[in-house]
Amino acid sequence: MRRTVTAATALALVAGAAMWFVTSVGAQGGGTIEADVKYNGPAQIEKLKVNKDTEKCGTETVIEKVVVGGNKGLANAVVSVPGAKGTTKAKAVLDQHGCKFVPHVVVMQPGELEIKNSDDILHNLHTYSTANPSINKAQPKFKKTMTEKLEKPEFVKVTCDVHSWMLGWVAVVPGLAGVTDKDGVTRIENVPAGKQKIEVWHETLGKQEKEVEVKAGQVTKVSFEMKGK
Amino acid sequence: MLVRLTICASLAASLSLAAASVAQAQGDANAGKAVYERKCLLCHGEKGDGNGAGAEHLAPRPRDFTKGLYKIRTTANKTPTDQDLFNVITHGMPGTSMPPWAVLPEKDRWNLVAYLKTFAPDAFKEAPKKLELPKEVSSSAESIKRGKEMFEAIECHKCHGTEGRADGPSRAELKDEWGHPIPPANLAKRWTFRGGASRTDVATRIAAGVLGTPMPAFLDAVEKPEDIWHLTNFIFSLGAESPHYTTLLTVTSVSGAIPDDPNADFWKKLTPNNVPLMGQVIVDPRNFNPAIDLVSVRAAYNDKEVAFHLTWDDPTESKGDGKQTFPDAIAMQFPAQLSAGTERPYFLMGDGSDAVYLMRWEQGKGAAEASANGPAKIGPLAGGEIGGTAVFVNGQYRLVIKRPLAAKGEGRPSFRPTVFTPVAFQAWDGGAGETGPKMSLTSWYYLRLEEPQSNRRFIIPPVVVILTLAAMILVVRTANRAR
Repeated sequence: MRRTVTAATALALVAGAAMWFVTSVGAQGGGTIEADVKYNGPAQIEKLKVNKDTEKCGTETVIEKVVVGGNKGLANAVVSVPGAKGTTKAKAVLDQHGCKFVPHVVVMQPGELEIKNSDDILHNLHTYSTANPSINKAQPKFKKTMTEKLEKPEFVKVTCDVHSWMLGWVAVVPGLAGVTDKDGVTRIENVPAGKQKIEVWHETLGKQEKEVEVKAGQVTKVSFEMKGK
Repeated sequence: MLVRLTICASLAASLSLAAASVAQAQGDANAGKAVYERKCLLCHGEKGDGNGAGAEHLAPRPRDFTKGLYKIRTTANKTPTDQDLFNVITHGMPGTSMPPWAVLPEKDRWNLVAYLKTFAPDAFKEAPKKLELPKEVSSSAESIKRGKEMFEAIECHKCHGTEGRADGPSRAELKDEWGHPIPPANLAKRWTFRGGASRTDVATRIAAGVLGTPMPAFLDAVEKPEDIWHLTNFIFSLGAESPHYTTLLTVTSVSGAIPDDPNADFWKKLTPNNVPLMGQVIVDPRNFNPAIDLVSVRAAYNDKEVAFHLTWDDPTESKGDGKQTFPDAIAMQFPAQLSAGTERPYFLMGDGSDAVYLMRWEQGKGAAEASANGPAKIGPLAGGEIGGTAVFVNGQYRLVIKRPLAAKGEGRPSFRPTVFTPVAFQAWDGGAGETGPKMSLTSWYYLRLEEPQSNRRFIIPPVVVILTLAAMILVVRTANRAR
C-alpha cells in the first residue's frame, strides 16, 4: 500500500516538473500581441460641477464614457486573450483618489482585488455584478485598504453613491489582458504561440473579437475598429 | 399518511413559533402563485418585475423580484433567509406603500415566500449566510457620545444629514440599483424604517447595508465592531420611537409675552402635538408621494394673541426657481366663521358655500392671511395682523406664527378659551416640486385653548384641605363629647 502511495507521489512530482518545464519553455517561446483599438466617433466626456468635498474632489470633474486620443485611438478598452492562461504579475489595485477611480479600468484575473482609499473622506464601493456577488461596502477615511474577491469572469461596473459621478470598471478576465492607453494601444506579452482569439471590450462601445496567429518571439499586430452604439 | 402529516404540521404551526420552520419547509410555490395573483400582482406585476399597474404612482417603487435583490435581510451575503422574506410580507415596509399582510393565513405567507423565490432562482442558489452582530452594547450617555463620533467619522451625514433628517449633501444624487431616485432614511423618524425599528433591526441594517440601495455595509468599516451598537444608540437618541399622533391640540394659557424666536426655551417647555399629513389626491395635480408627513404643533395664548409654533422636516430650504422648484410653505386652516354645531367647511380649502381662513407662511414672503373657497380660489385677506418668524436648521423648519385672539376684520374667526375650534394643516416642500394643489394636508382636527390661567388652582385645593380637616376634627370632637 505504502509503496503504491510513494510511487504515485513520485510520479506526480515528475509529471509536475515536466509540466512546469513545458509551460516555462512555452512562455519563453511565446509571442507578443500589440493591439491597436480605434474609434471613428466623438469622445463622450461629461463635465460637471462638484458641490461637496471640493477640497478633495476639486470643483469640477469629468465622467469619461468614451476617451479618444491621438490618431483616433480609443483609450480604456480591455484587450484580452482568453486562451492564454498566464500568471498575473502584480496584484490588481483600484484606488479612489481625487474622487475618481484610478485606473478607470482595472484588469485582473479571477481572485483578489485590493481597493484603496487615498482621499481621507468616505467612499462606498458599490459594484454592479451578476456573476460575482454584488458589493456595497463603506470605506471611511480611516480604512485605507480593503480586499474583495471577484472570482468569476465579468466586467463589473463600480460606483460610489456618495460621489455619484465616480465611475470605474473592473475587468475580471480569465486570460492575459491589457488596457489600451491614451493612444488606443496595449501590449500583451508571453502569449503562447498558435491561433489565439483576441477579445476587446469597451464600457460604452461593446465587444469585438478576432483570431490571430501568434508566432513565438515576434510581435503580432492586431487592429480593431469599434463601432458607435 | 400525508393528510395526517399536514394536520400535524398545521397544528404545530398554530401552537408554537418553533414550528415556523416546519411551515417554511412546506412553502408551496404553486399555492403562493394564486395568493400572489390576488394580493401582490397589481403593484409587483405579473412577472414579478415591479411593473404592476400601480407601480407608476408609488415611491419607492414596488420591488422587482426578478433580480433577487432584497433590501431587508439578516444575512452577511446577498441571499435573504426565508424568514426575512416572511417578515417583510408579515410586517410590510413602514414608510412605503407595502402594507403588512398579517391578515393572510401564515401558510399563505410561506407559500408566497416560496413563489417569490421562483422569480430569481439563481439568486437563491447561494445559501444565506447568517450575519454575526457584535456583542450588544446597551445605551448610555457614553455610548451615544461614541456613536456620534463614529457617525461623523464614517460620514453618515453625507446622506442622512448632521441630525439625521435625510438632508445630507449627497441626497439628491442617490439612486437605487434600478436607477430610480431614492432618499436616505430620516433617522429621527424610526417608525418609517423599512426593516423595522428594534435595536437589532437598526444594528443589522448598519452592519449589512440595504441591498439594491446606496446604503453600504458598515460591519468592516467601523473602528471597532461594537461601534455598530454605539451608532445604533446614537440613532435612537435622534428621535422618538413613535410619533404619538395627537387627536386634540391644546393651546396653553400663559400670562406673559410669547416669544417670536422659534428657538426660544419657551417653546421647548410646551408639549408638542404631532399631526400626520397625507398627499392631496382629490384634485389635479395630485400628490401621491408627499414629502412632508408630519407637523409638530406647539401653541400658546395670552390675553392678546395666539401663537403657533410649527416644526416640520424638509430636506431642502427652497425659495424656488418657479419651474421645477417652488417656495416651501405651510398653512393652518380654520373655518371663516365658527358655527355652534359640528358643521365645518369642506376640508380641502372650503368650497363655494363655505369659506376657510388660512394663516399661511411662505419662504421668502413670510406670514400672511388668506381666505379660500377651494384650492383654486385663494385670495389675500387684508386688514388683519399676522406675524411669522421661521428658522431652517439641518433639514428642519421651525416657525412661530401669531395673530390677535379677537378677529380683526371679516372672514376670520376669533379664538376663545375652551371652545373647540376646527383646524387643518397644509404643507408644501417646494424643493420637491410641491406647489398649489400638489401638497400634503390633514383633514379637520380640533384645537382647544385651555382655560385661562388664574391663581385659583393654588388657593382652592388648600382651602378644601383645610375645610375637610376642620370638618373631620369637628366630627371627632362631637363624637367624643357624645360618649
